[in-house]
Amino acid sequence: MKKWSFFTLAGFICLALAGAPAAVAASDTLVVMQEAEPVGLDLMQSSIQTTMSVCYNIHDTLFHPQEDASVLPALAEKWEKIDDLTWKITLRKDAVFHNGEPVNAAAVKFSYDRANNDALKNPHRGKLSAFTELKVIDDYTFTIKTEQPYAPGLYMLGYYLPIVPPKYIQEVGDSKYNTDPIGSGPYRLKKWVRGEEIVLEAFDKYYGPQPAYKNLIFKASPEEASRIAALLTGEAQVISGIPVHQRKKIQDSGKAYLTPQMGVMPYIGINTYEAPFDDVRIRQAINYAIDKELINKALFDGQAIICAGPISPRTFGASPNLKPYPYDPDKSRALLKEAGHPDGIQARLAYPTYMSQIQEQAEAIAANMGKAGINVTLEPFERAVMWERYKGKKHQLYIYWWDDAPEPDRYMYSLFNSKSRDYYYKNPTVDELLDKGRTIMDRTERAKVYARIDELLYQDAPWAFLYVVPEVFGVANDVDYQGRRDGFLNMRYAKPKM
Amino acid sequence: MLQYLFKRLWHTVYVIIGISVISFFFIHLSGDPVMLMLPGDASHQEIEDLRQQLGFNDPIYVQYLRFAWQALRGEFGQSLYYKIPAMQLILERLPASLELAAAAMLIALVVAVPIGIISAVRRGSLLDMGSMFGALFGLSMPHFWLGIMLIMIFSVRLGWLPTSGRGTLAHLIMPSVALGLSLMAMFARLTRSVMLEVLSLDYIRTARSKGLKERIVVSKHAFKNALIPLVTVAGMQFGFLLGGTVIIETVFAWPGVGRLVVQAIFNRDYPLVQAVVLVLAVIFVAVNFIVDMLYMYLDPQISYFEDK
Amino acid sequence: MNQQAAAKTSIFEVITPRLRFLGETLGEVARRPSALMGGIMITAILLTSVCFPLFYPVDPLEQDLLARFTPPAWQEGGSWVYPLGADNLGRDVLARLLYGSRVSLLVGFAAVLVAELAGIFLGLFSGYYGGKLDSLIMRVADIFMAYPFMLLTISVIAVLGTSIFNLILVLGLSDWVTYARTIRGSVLSLKEKEFVEASRAIGTPHRVIIFRHILPNVISPLLVLGTLRVANIIIWESGLSFLGMGVPPPMPTWGRMLAEGRLYITDAWWLVTLPGLAIMLTILSINLLGDGLRDALDPRLRNI
Repeated sequence: MKKWSFFTLAGFICLALAGAPAAVAASDTLVVMQEAEPVGLDLMQSSIQTTMSVCYNIHDTLFHPQEDASVLPALAEKWEKIDDLTWKITLRKDAVFHNGEPVNAAAVKFSYDRANNDALKNPHRGKLSAFTELKVIDDYTFTIKTEQPYAPGLYMLGYYLPIVPPKYIQEVGDSKYNTDPIGSGPYRLKKWVRGEEIVLEAFDKYYGPQPAYKNLIFKASPEEASRIAALLTGEAQVISGIPVHQRKKIQDSGKAYLTPQMGVMPYIGINTYEAPFDDVRIRQAINYAIDKELINKALFDGQAIICAGPISPRTFGASPNLKPYPYDPDKSRALLKEAGHPDGIQARLAYPTYMSQIQEQAEAIAANMGKAGINVTLEPFERAVMWERYKGKKHQLYIYWWDDAPEPDRYMYSLFNSKSRDYYYKNPTVDELLDKGRTIMDRTERAKVYARIDELLYQDAPWAFLYVVPEVFGVANDVDYQGRRDGFLNMRYAKPKM
Repeated sequence: MLQYLFKRLWHTVYVIIGISVISFFFIHLSGDPVMLMLPGDASHQEIEDLRQQLGFNDPIYVQYLRFAWQALRGEFGQSLYYKIPAMQLILERLPASLELAAAAMLIALVVAVPIGIISAVRRGSLLDMGSMFGALFGLSMPHFWLGIMLIMIFSVRLGWLPTSGRGTLAHLIMPSVALGLSLMAMFARLTRSVMLEVLSLDYIRTARSKGLKERIVVSKHAFKNALIPLVTVAGMQFGFLLGGTVIIETVFAWPGVGRLVVQAIFNRDYPLVQAVVLVLAVIFVAVNFIVDMLYMYLDPQISYFEDK
Repeated sequence: MNQQAAAKTSIFEVITPRLRFLGETLGEVARRPSALMGGIMITAILLTSVCFPLFYPVDPLEQDLLARFTPPAWQEGGSWVYPLGADNLGRDVLARLLYGSRVSLLVGFAAVLVAELAGIFLGLFSGYYGGKLDSLIMRVADIFMAYPFMLLTISVIAVLGTSIFNLILVLGLSDWVTYARTIRGSVLSLKEKEFVEASRAIGTPHRVIIFRHILPNVISPLLVLGTLRVANIIIWESGLSFLGMGVPPPMPTWGRMLAEGRLYITDAWWLVTLPGLAIMLTILSINLLGDGLRDALDPRLRNI
């Protein structure tokens, strides 16, 4: 009885409050809602996707990387190759930081040194490891050298070397810079109410085109249901993190649309040092045991792109000769038998719980493998523990992911070159080819090298290759925004739809 | 009286020390945050260097003493994950949790106490039986399930309330109801049973026989006595509330301390976990202390009343 | 020889009155309709939990990806193949609920048992020996009480890892305080009674006094307390499962079914509603029974 009286009371309150409008965005304000709040706003102190998204609105780099792995000028105005190992870059003269400091060669050198500073522990340092030296020539010109010819050089600079203000950082220190950053991007930080929102406003002295939205607000909600509700009620105009089964609802709502962004490429890594996984037949058996088509149909509405080898079909350099491992549990069993395990094997499959739809993928895959004689024990771990165990070489099979960038060196080098990671697999031939691939400037020749890598790894199967799940952003009908393959919410490109 | 006060204060101190020791050892046993702080390409040397720099190579009691010494001076170190001082994070999030706990307690008391009183006064009636059964229902519902169901009905189906987050009164309703329902049920039952006991006491009968109006008898004389156990239990349940916020905050994406500390445990963020546990313990112990003092205040007054 | 005979006699003397007591208690419970209903419900749940494979032998782990999100039989699109619907991997919800009941009930009762054992030992020794030991144990109890329960359990599981055994251990060992305090209180009041002093006078060892004379007299309140605590433990267990710290997959538990179902509340209401209802009914029946037990035993407690 008291329950009813309470709910009646609650009902009245709700009706009363429904009259009170939620924060309605003005037409020059854009509200973006992500899955998680940034941890800091210094690009050199975080590698988390949601953090970097916000950072790219505040910080500019030398180049704007494009979807086909080429670059357009940003803070750099023109550049030329002096020789195979050196670029000479000239900055534009009219760029300033939000506090008025000029963006000059000295600032670039400062940023370069800071990015490589041991004390700062820049998580992106490894990606800049191909560069050896940056020399200032005059106020707005500098050269940058690499040890060997480095094809993805400018692309990497376009992402991983944000240009930061020397005087400001020297004044406030790295810790404060992380919470109160100053950059040279189209937006400046107005205020950050931790736990609630980050408010950015357009920088009136920005060298490039002024962004269409004067105010940019980033919010976060870890609940996908709330993000979607926010999009459909107008509380937010752009959202990320939309699982596949919710996409149709957004499309059918008539209030918002979907735009593709980064592709998430999950894969199953195999510990090739540990028996029985050191036998390539076992690893291939695992590949034959997974019904990727069915999983795609059921879990991803058929929208995933099945992978053949480790290089995504959407990445430059994927071999055109490969077809994905077909679903063939009989062949799996035959391979297991051939390798000396007629009664099947036991395997532990670890996965991080924060990945989207990971629980159902892991369970579906485990069930598939079970039918082929591979008995799987599931081991879910939270992000931190998973990573720790990964680096501690404790996994047998593990699920992780990467985004299928258009530039193959971006992930292939990090994942397969033993200088970067050798926790579970090492292949000197592949190492050589990867080193070679990044030094070849000619695109056709380069493609051949990566195709070879793709084919080698396909045969050797250090992974069970899965698929690429294209992620989407949800965008309100009154906003015009195209998602990009890097998955960063760079809102300078957004504009109101007429 | 003073002796009692000192005894209680000493009790407060050793409880807090004990809790900090326990949580310190747990979080240290659970693993190494250094690996998590560095990017994937970090070399073994870099990992060792960082470990040395942060002091993780020292023996564990040294680490604890260092922590305790700094804590006494009010420094709780920097969160390893957020890279800002742990205390700052906690102070940012604490008001949200307290708001939730207070709202839950308020709703529980405001609804439960009148129901409890009326049920006691009209014992055996349909109202009484109905509300007591309802209370049992309320006690039996897992609060996080209730939270999810409320979201499903009032946000998703009806669209009346926002699904999560904090901001307006509308955001506060569902989480505090979910958190407060079991408290509500408990208070209703408690109030009823205490009122029943008190209403049968001698001096109440005396008041009635004097011809005092029933309402005055109930509210002035009987209820005052019921206050003591109610206050005591309310204070004790505060601990439950603090713990209950952990899950409710997760369900409703409420930016409070509970969610912060769960993530911190997952991230092996030692300084943050330590700081939160300590702060929660201090709050808990402080509330208990206040309840005890309140009890002492209320108690002599009631006995005094009785003599009259 | 005489001592052995004396020992045998005293065991008999201890058991029979207890059995009679049990019978009377059950009778009292049966007389109250709500408690009786609670008792019947929980017995039904326990029986179902044990025997269901006999009449519903469906595999809770069997996936059928194409049957994802089949609604319950009475809804449009449902079928009696999946009486309560299918989850996001096409597994039968009813089967998962039934298997999940085993985990919840097992953890519930086992953890309470662990807690009671720990509490009984600590409470007995604390109350009987008094002095420094008592002080120490009670202080540790204060610390345990002040530590937010959820945080304690999460921290320990983070250290030990997730498994049914760890779960029972953690939930049990976090909850001993109430039992210890109750027993200690009873022991303190009994300690001064004549029969204890008499036993001491004739030189009976402490161990015998504690376990044979005092323990049987103080155990009744623990029955009530324990019964009611099973309900709490089940809620905490599902809370831990909900946070991902419970029994690891793919074994279904009600808490994890809630956590997973939460992702789909917009499309598949049954994935969230049904496990919660299961938890609620179980706990309701335990509470009804517990309440009745407390009413039945209370008057008797005053006599002891």
